[in-house]
Amino acid sequence: MRLRFVGLLVGAFVFLFPFYYMLVGSLQAEPDPSVAGAFPAGNLTLHNYSEIDKAISLGRSLINSGIFTGGVILGTLVFGVLAGYALARLQFRGRGLVFHLMLLIQVVPFQLLTIPLYVMIVRSYGLADSYLGMILPFAINSTAVFVFRQYFLQLPAELFDAARIDGASELSILWRIAVPLVRPALLTGVLLTFIGPWNEFLWPFLITKQQDLQPLAVSLTNYITTVASRAANPFGAVLAGACVLAAPAVALFLVFQRRFISSNLSSGVKG
Amino acid sequence: MKLQAGLLAVVLAGSLAACGGSGGAGDADAAAKARGPITIWYSNNAEEVAWGKQMVASWNAAHADQKVTAQEIPTGKSSEEVIGAAITAGNAPCLIFNTSPASVSQFQKQGGLVPLDSFSDGKSYIEDRSGDIAKQYKSADGKYYQLPWKSNPVMIFYNKKAFAKAGIDTAKPPLTTYDEFLATSRKLVAAKAAKVAIYPAPSNEFYQSWFDFYPLYAAETGGKQLVADGKSTFASDEGKKVATFWRTMYADKLASPEKYTGDAFVDGTAAMAVVGPWAIATYKGKVDWGVVPVPTSSGKPAGEIHTFSDAKNVAMYSSCQNRGTAWDVLKFATSQEQDGMFLQASGQMPLRKDVASVYSDYFTKNPDYKVFADQAARTVEVPNVPNSITIWQTFRDAYSKSVIFGQQDPGAALDGAAQKVDQLVKQS
Amino acid sequence: MRRGPLTRVLGEHPVGTAFVTPYVVFIAAVFAYPLGFAVYMSFHDYFFAAPGAIVDRPFVGFDNYATVLSDPAVRRAFGNVLIFLVINVPLTVILSLGLSTALNSAIRWRTFFRVSYYVPYVTASVAVVGVWLFLFNSNGLVNSVLGPLAPDPSWLVNSHLAMPTVAIYVTWKQLGFFILLYLAALQNVSADLYEAASMDGAGRWKSFLNVTVPGVRPATTLVVLLATVTGANLFTEPYLLTGGGGPDGASASPVLIMYQRGIEQGNPDVGSAIGVLLVIGVLILALLERRFVGSED
Repeated sequence: MRLRFVGLLVGAFVFLFPFYYMLVGSLQAEPDPSVAGAFPAGNLTLHNYSEIDKAISLGRSLINSGIFTGGVILGTLVFGVLAGYALARLQFRGRGLVFHLMLLIQVVPFQLLTIPLYVMIVRSYGLADSYLGMILPFAINSTAVFVFRQYFLQLPAELFDAARIDGASELSILWRIAVPLVRPALLTGVLLTFIGPWNEFLWPFLITKQQDLQPLAVSLTNYITTVASRAANPFGAVLAGACVLAAPAVALFLVFQRRFISSNLSSGVKG
Repeated sequence: MKLQAGLLAVVLAGSLAACGGSGGAGDADAAAKARGPITIWYSNNAEEVAWGKQMVASWNAAHADQKVTAQEIPTGKSSEEVIGAAITAGNAPCLIFNTSPASVSQFQKQGGLVPLDSFSDGKSYIEDRSGDIAKQYKSADGKYYQLPWKSNPVMIFYNKKAFAKAGIDTAKPPLTTYDEFLATSRKLVAAKAAKVAIYPAPSNEFYQSWFDFYPLYAAETGGKQLVADGKSTFASDEGKKVATFWRTMYADKLASPEKYTGDAFVDGTAAMAVVGPWAIATYKGKVDWGVVPVPTSSGKPAGEIHTFSDAKNVAMYSSCQNRGTAWDVLKFATSQEQDGMFLQASGQMPLRKDVASVYSDYFTKNPDYKVFADQAARTVEVPNVPNSITIWQTFRDAYSKSVIFGQQDPGAALDGAAQKVDQLVKQS
Repeated sequence: MRRGPLTRVLGEHPVGTAFVTPYVVFIAAVFAYPLGFAVYMSFHDYFFAAPGAIVDRPFVGFDNYATVLSDPAVRRAFGNVLIFLVINVPLTVILSLGLSTALNSAIRWRTFFRVSYYVPYVTASVAVVGVWLFLFNSNGLVNSVLGPLAPDPSWLVNSHLAMPTVAIYVTWKQLGFFILLYLAALQNVSADLYEAASMDGAGRWKSFLNVTVPGVRPATTLVVLLATVTGANLFTEPYLLTGGGGPDGASASPVLIMYQRGIEQGNPDVGSAIGVLLVIGVLILALLERRFVGSED
């Protein structure tokens, strides 16, 4: 027991150290790239945060990130769960085709599609400078669909057979039986769907140049490439922005991870 | 839908005119005279934004029916992608004050640019304003698809404190010949005045050669471009001398092949930097700097040394409806008054003839910048040829492999790259 | 179960078609055109042009593919991805399964540990990379600790070590996500099975091998597949860590080359050829993985 704990602690240190260094760096008044700088005594200030807030209205950017990401999560949770469930537990015509399509979509790198996608969304759909234009290519995350499918597969078949014999409709089976049992998988799906759009730079930047529509990842990257060097502590300001970008994701995980507790499966399959 | 159809019609007319169709002359005139609101993009560099905002405000105050809306896009690799995507989708703005000369041949090939010659005073305005230097910005068909706007003549900045620590004269440091430069660099590193003498970015992007090889090559050859008259020029003795000089810097650990986050000159990691006057705003208050021209093998006098211009220009994009307004705004933004305000705000040199004398007041007040104004008369631009970016990437790959990472002899690498580049220039 | 003619045509659960319809519509509306277009471009001499510009775009058959396959830089990039996958995928599976098992048990500070392993996954590479560059610099922390064992040239500028270093960085960064996947899967491994195993006298290691590993098999398939796909599509990390390709392209990835040729240099036809080859390669790998790691259908 003791050994495992120590092992985990060492591992946690390795994982956390760069993030800790980021945090410290964002709080430094003067950039200190030496090793000693990792353990500062004094030289701490919140100035970097106010510096970057001055440059790129953190509040507005965070809201935009929220709308963009929220839209994607909504689309994925509603339509992705349906699709994942159908692929896992329903026999229907075209099932194999849809499964392979889903795999294909994940395999294709986004950079291959960017420009034709942009032209299509801007010209044919007329969605330039809009949240919908930002959300559309990400609306249903295929990886999440894959994840949902895998977890629905893990549930025992007897559960479904029993419910079907009882005459329940597929939708109610999904809603009342399957979903509660794969809650950890759904949460995983949410967390994984969250990260993509939250950290995405290129697509929202292509879709809109209006600063009051741009999500935080875009404003931050623009800031890094050009403006940062003017600040008193450019590296610190950049790290401050990065910490602000990372914070909601970490907070979300903190809240959700408590739900990762074993559900008692055997109670679902009763005589 | 109506708007889209209308836009398409104008663009078709515009591009037909550009192709010189027989019935097109009338259409080109019509497009060139159209007036109304326009959109422009400029870089999000703080000083340029400040200038841009006041320029737009002055114009809008005087022309309420031809309002200019401005948006910022950052310079850097993503800006090329954004502009290319906008051209393809047909929603590029009328003017972009951030157009890299290296991309002009590509945008032109895509049909994305308006030849400024199509305006009755287009060619004359450009040549009057910029003088002889304008020639470097003509495209292969002899027309101007860009207006040379501003340059950042690249020179060597040095950290006076670091030089003092190494016991080197800070008023006239020995940096004129390659031998002197190498000796000075060795002194700096030996005295631990800085970790490396100079830290040009060692990464592989196609434009990085503009800040290590190209300025020295321009100086060494007295103003030659990388490609001239349809052939590569860099596999010459001069080119190989420059490459060997940098190879020595890397081999003796006077420069580092590792990527650096941040600005090495500001952090004190490097005692020198190869950069233009836009960096002065960054260095203010952080480094006590001095500046000298780039070195040459034989030590040419400063008044004869050429360098890379690091220019950014303005282009008019073919999706523009109200080209008459766009051209007027362009002339306004590059007028003597506005050029002066730009110089004031950013310290970058407008690509105008006789900058030093036209704005002598400014240079009296800011003697730091005078040396750049002098240098601005002797700059070399990237060659305006087809496949320009591929050519630079091919060069960079060869340079990186041989000079930075020492995996091949620089002479052989340049020869190999020259062969490939010769082929690339021939395609169109 | 009635198996009338309708069932044979539509399957046992025709409502399944209704369930997947929104997803299929989404794919058709968003991906079909760009993907088809990319394949189209790879067979033509193509470049993007302004709407209304009149350009010549001849069909060139497999020319683009020939150009790409005979280009040593491209071949090297594909080779780099294989090196990456060989290091990253097994390491990811082993570490994430091991760590998630440990994080699933009742230990002190469990929340703290879970969060700390997850944090790198959510931080944007752009910010974290600076720290790694600092650590793996030639006089960085890692080399100071290694002393005389430090490689020269240092990690990221060493043509043999550059890609493995990138692989380790990416493994570290993505691990949180895979731990999450396994954590979710572990919830569904019934506690009864563990009880049965311990009653049979199995120690912790044995029950791990015989209960946990088989119990999360669908998750393992998922992890292997996703790690492969993410690895093959690597773009940002090599770019940020080695500035676009490292020493002589030692850490260039196919997507990076695709971006350079396709977008920067204005040759989307060549870029698409690389992309199509990459997709085919990954699909083959995925097929092999399903064969060997297995799945539930």
